[in-house]
Amino acid sequence: MIQLIISLVVGLALAVSLYFFARRVKPSAEGSAQQLREARQTLDSLQFGLLPNDLVQRIFAREDLEYVLSAAPPEVQSLFLKDRKNIALAWVRRVRSAVLDLMRFHRGHARLHAQLSFSTESRLALNFARLLTACRLLQIALYLRGPYAAPGMVRTAAAAAGRVCLISENSLAFLNVKGIDPAENDPARHRA
Amino acid sequence: MKTLSQVIWLAGILVEFVILARAIQCKMFGKYSIFYSYVASVLGVSVFLYAAPQPLYNALYWPLDFVTMVLGCGVIVEISRHVFAQHISLDRFARWTAIVVFGSMFLVFAIHSFFFPHWKPAANPADLARDLRIAEAIALLTIVFLTGYYRIEIGKNMKGMILGFGVYVGTSIIMLTLRLFIGIRFSPIWKITEPSSYVAALIIWAVALWSYAPVPVVPAPPPDTDYQGLAGRTRRALGSIEEHLDRTP
Repeated sequence: MIQLIISLVVGLALAVSLYFFARRVKPSAEGSAQQLREARQTLDSLQFGLLPNDLVQRIFAREDLEYVLSAAPPEVQSLFLKDRKNIALAWVRRVRSAVLDLMRFHRGHARLHAQLSFSTESRLALNFARLLTACRLLQIALYLRGPYAAPGMVRTAAAAAGRVCLISENSLAFLNVKGIDPAENDPARHRA
Repeated sequence: MKTLSQVIWLAGILVEFVILARAIQCKMFGKYSIFYSYVASVLGVSVFLYAAPQPLYNALYWPLDFVTMVLGCGVIVEISRHVFAQHISLDRFARWTAIVVFGSMFLVFAIHSFFFPHWKPAANPADLARDLRIAEAIALLTIVFLTGYYRIEIGKNMKGMILGFGVYVGTSIIMLTLRLFIGIRFSPIWKITEPSSYVAALIIWAVALWSYAPVPVVPAPPPDTDYQGLAGRTRRALGSIEEHLDRTP
């Protein structure tokens, strides 16, 4: 029976992977100046648009909750909690998508190098997987417990978001050297 | 049922002829020498078995199938060599995976033969064939995974070669497994699906290898970047994130 299961699993895994392999779109020419500029812009938008620490702290500000609880009727309180929960969830989704963008960026550039280190790449892949899982768990926790139920968790998530920005910055450090677009390559502008 | 089986068999021989003729016409034989040798050997075996009387057919079907199967392993090596021509490390990894998988399989056979003298793989060739196909499938999965993970562009010829081979190997694994477990009742279905999947693979190969399409050249990495630097920065920063996430209550 074990043989049957192993054989069928391998056969089906091959069938599924071939399906996605056949549907795979032609990858863009990674490494071109246009591509690098787009990567820079994507990560800039993540840093400036959705991940600043002050904005994150605003979303989870406990004084807002205390004010609404003391001054607003129950239906407004309920609406407030629902809105904040949705915003928090959207924010975690954005952090997760930033990690995914970084992962794609790293893989896209690592593949240009002929001599990849298998052990390094395996460790990085595992780290990315762990981080993505952690983000997903955070999403579930926020969904179940709400943004005000776990303040420590939120602080952690905020720190994680800041770190994502830092990785993005480091991964793109060589663009600063190249000076593709000096106006956009000022490191002072990228601090969240 | 026998007529259908013969039609499929003849269709296979015809498509094999087309593939080989086209390879000679476009001077592609030297570029994918193992693959075309494999197709030529299968063509030779097919013609021989088609003409052979039933007792000879029964005696030689599995031994000849193993010969073509071993050449099929060579096709996987050729695929890896072309797909990862500009990625030495990935090619090495794919080859090592294949060596480990095939090595483990032969080791298991050796151990069985040594400790169980009554156990004879030749007594159940379908079992051995299925295990070889599983090893081929794992090697193929490794190549497909690595090309997907690193978004490596592979060209029409290689894509077709992988797809065709994958369709055939995948179908063979499922069919051989069902044949082993369902038994003789499954044989009529197996006799149709096995050659049909091979004809499907041949059609994919004929279309994909109609003209030569080399694996696209990978652009040079941007100046001022080195792989270790890129990997090191990403690893350190990811480690810091994990530390923060580990503190999540």
